[in-house]
Amino acid sequence: MSATALHPSELPEQPSEPKNYLNVAHTIKSWLLTGDHKRIAILYLFSTGFFFFLGGLAAAVIRYELTSPAGVVLESETYNRVFSAHGIIMVFLFLVVVIPATLGNFLIPLMVGARDLAFPRLNLLSWYLYMAGGTIVLAGMIWGGIDTGWTFYTPYSSMYSNTNVSLVIVGIFLGGFSSITTGINFIVTVHKMRAPGMTWFRLPLFVWSMYATSVVIILGTPVIAITLLLVVFERTFKLPIFSPELGGDPVLFQHLFWFYSHPAVYIMILPAFGVQSELIANFARKRIFGYHFVAFSSIAIAGLGFLVWGHHMFISSQSMYQGVVFSLISFLVAVPSAVKVFNWTATLYKGNIRLQSPMLYALSFIGLFTVGGLTGLFLGSMGTDVHLTNTYFIVAHFHYVMVGGTVTAFLGGLHYWWPKMTGRIYNDGWAKINALIVFMGFNLTFFPQFIAGFLGMPRRYHYYYLMPEVQAYHIMSSAGASFLALGLILPVFYLGASLKNGAKASANPWGAHGLEWETTSPPPTFNFVETPVVTDEVYDFDPVSEYEQERATQEMVHPGTPGLLTKDGELKTGDRE
Amino acid sequence: MAAITHTSDHSHDDHHGPLHHQFESIEQQNESYIVGMWTFLVTEVMFFGALFLTYTLYRAMYQHDFFVAHEHLSIPMGAFNTIVLLISSFTMVLAVHFAQLKRARAVIANLWLTIALAGVFLVVKYFEYTSKFADNLYPGPSFTANKAVFEHNGHVPEIDLNHAQIFYGLYFGMTGLHAVHIIVGILVLAALARMWMKGNRLVTEDFVPTELVGLYWHFVDLVWIFLFPLMYLMPKPH
Amino acid sequence: MSADTQSHEHHIVPVRTYFATLIALMVLMGLTVGVYFIDLPGLGGFLTGTVVNQTVALIIAIIKALLVIMIFMGVKWSTPLTKLWVAAGFVTFSLMFFILVDYGTRREYEPVPAWDKAGESATPRGFPPGSQSVPSNNINLRPRG
Repeated sequence: MSATALHPSELPEQPSEPKNYLNVAHTIKSWLLTGDHKRIAILYLFSTGFFFFLGGLAAAVIRYELTSPAGVVLESETYNRVFSAHGIIMVFLFLVVVIPATLGNFLIPLMVGARDLAFPRLNLLSWYLYMAGGTIVLAGMIWGGIDTGWTFYTPYSSMYSNTNVSLVIVGIFLGGFSSITTGINFIVTVHKMRAPGMTWFRLPLFVWSMYATSVVIILGTPVIAITLLLVVFERTFKLPIFSPELGGDPVLFQHLFWFYSHPAVYIMILPAFGVQSELIANFARKRIFGYHFVAFSSIAIAGLGFLVWGHHMFISSQSMYQGVVFSLISFLVAVPSAVKVFNWTATLYKGNIRLQSPMLYALSFIGLFTVGGLTGLFLGSMGTDVHLTNTYFIVAHFHYVMVGGTVTAFLGGLHYWWPKMTGRIYNDGWAKINALIVFMGFNLTFFPQFIAGFLGMPRRYHYYYLMPEVQAYHIMSSAGASFLALGLILPVFYLGASLKNGAKASANPWGAHGLEWETTSPPPTFNFVETPVVTDEVYDFDPVSEYEQERATQEMVHPGTPGLLTKDGELKTGDRE
Repeated sequence: MAAITHTSDHSHDDHHGPLHHQFESIEQQNESYIVGMWTFLVTEVMFFGALFLTYTLYRAMYQHDFFVAHEHLSIPMGAFNTIVLLISSFTMVLAVHFAQLKRARAVIANLWLTIALAGVFLVVKYFEYTSKFADNLYPGPSFTANKAVFEHNGHVPEIDLNHAQIFYGLYFGMTGLHAVHIIVGILVLAALARMWMKGNRLVTEDFVPTELVGLYWHFVDLVWIFLFPLMYLMPKPH
Repeated sequence: MSADTQSHEHHIVPVRTYFATLIALMVLMGLTVGVYFIDLPGLGGFLTGTVVNQTVALIIAIIKALLVIMIFMGVKWSTPLTKLWVAAGFVTFSLMFFILVDYGTRREYEPVPAWDKAGESATPRGFPPGSQSVPSNNINLRPRG
């Protein structure tokens, strides 16, 4: 046989990058028609990031306006539309979605040991519903906006407002269905698709939290869907339900709205609790103190959260007697949250704490969430709420729990699972500086608002020239906001840079515990080469091998170095040398 | 950790029949779909639930006006519709039954019967609605200002037309939403029947898709079981 | 847990059960309409005749619903998880009716003398009482339609 030139396809296989979910296909169609939960999570990451940026822009405008008691560049009408945009985008298009749809979608199948979620096509539909809803909301904002606030109180929203209420509500309605489909997927996956040996009490606490979140989503979201639909019917078809002139009751709208929107805040914070548990356990290398209590507290919060909506309505002409009951139950619902905070703190005691950036976020979460939660008690007690409601005290309270809580936890989780999701290691030095910037900027932004609110500064007010003494607090707040904005934009840069310049991550760069760390970074499309069989308990860190612990830390900082470099420059290649 | 050997290299799903790649077994898949469908139905319960709550509240506040307003509704038509839906539920469950027994012709026949009965329901609804429109009982700016519309047994009762408008707002809202669910149901049933007629393995080999549609259809029937007595059969204030 | 095999295939309900359920539903339907035409007597106090009638009608509706759920939807033979979900759905549904407690317990508020001085309290802070009138701002008060 004469020698012939080999066609390139006949050449022996070059050693190529192992196939993972990112490089298995590169076409746009493979991304937009994917069923892979990991790709959908990345799609969500970009879309939620986009909406977060828009909501943040609105926040920047608000903070700029409020530096002067008589406004700076906006008319009051416009100011109303800007804060409504900020609220609607942040609540419905970011907070409710971000941790469940990005981290939840990515991690739940990995954590339970499944190949994918229960219904992959439903998952993709969920993303499209979210994009459709978000686009419609955006269209409503661009075509003039909406000035009812994110709470859409009737009869203003249903009868008097001349803004794009119906359009925006349609967008939120679609977003609600996106949320519901995600919830259905998670519930079925956790119930039915756990790997052999993965009992309920071996599940990571992130999965427990996501399960509780999904239950809340399923039971609460339809109520707001129909309530907002009724507002649209009242606007377009003049179907009178909340109309006072005909004998309807506007307070009924508030009841139905808050019946969802209070559990909604638990939808926003429960996933953050789950991320927090993972971060604390893995960066203290210790099993979460009171695992069962933390798991059941998620369920308790989900349940009790449905019984407290009236604490948003103490001054709405709601019956005082019912107000007392809501006040009492609001105090009760603080208990499971406190159980979690105590358990995280107890986990830290005698743990082997490593202060890498995800841990910095986790520690700041404990502080900021506690402040937010405690100020919630002032608001939950009916007497003090009469003074504090509709002031900046409320604004500060919910930003402490939402931004100091959810966004901080999301950032922590994003940093922690970034090597798993992208297969790259980012520069932890920048990340630590960023965590500090976020913490300091956040406190400077929102702590003065507690004081301003206590002094009487009402929320959603454009002008406060009748109270010029609060200007100092507003200016502090706006300065802090600029700093906070820096901290929220920087990750785009150093995380983005890691995609190009970062070292390749091994399967378990943090030395963490969990099924997701048993597969490669990034994982292959079907997650595991072989279906795992779970035999060890959750958070089962081996406290004995310090070598393992140090090795894992070093892997993060100097990946690829064989053995363990000690301070003296020696190289230890094994345990007990 | 010992592991179950299971390669991730899958050939196309239709070679394996209706088992999807993320499931280990057909039982797991079936149970997942059923749990998923029930979860969805729970959301529908909450969806209609808020409307039932609104109705209960206004009915309690305006008992007399709601009673007078409701007398314009036709009880025979409502009762007929209820019977139609109950029978359609029966034919639907028969379709699921025959799907379990893999008797395709019986399934198709029952599915089309269900669709036909649903169509009858909508036709009757159409006549009901047009009779309301004819008397200007549609809520909105053109709602009737004429109390004589509510004449009953020869005399015109006292009624606050504002509250009557709220009643009709709720009537059209709730029955309208229910009708939308019926229409969606008809479309899904037709698609399912077509799949059976084409012999699509997804439905012929595994009865669960048919059962899922059945669950949805029974839910639609359930809503009407409550709507009918609440709206059409209001007890007289006494 | 993921491999538990309590499958629906194991139980095929005979057609006569379904048919019997249909007959029962029809009978209950008739009862519903029949009860409408009978004015049941009240039981005194809050339980007027209307309330009794409505309660009876609702009970009949609930029985019909249970028949559909248990037999037509197959919950009687389903896994405990399904039964739990059905229960949870209806529990949360009834939870919403807690809203009605508000309307049932509202009372007239006692008048607060300080709030009757409308003219003073309407003056913005920092100005002598009664010296400024609150400017009316009707921008957003146009009724629609």
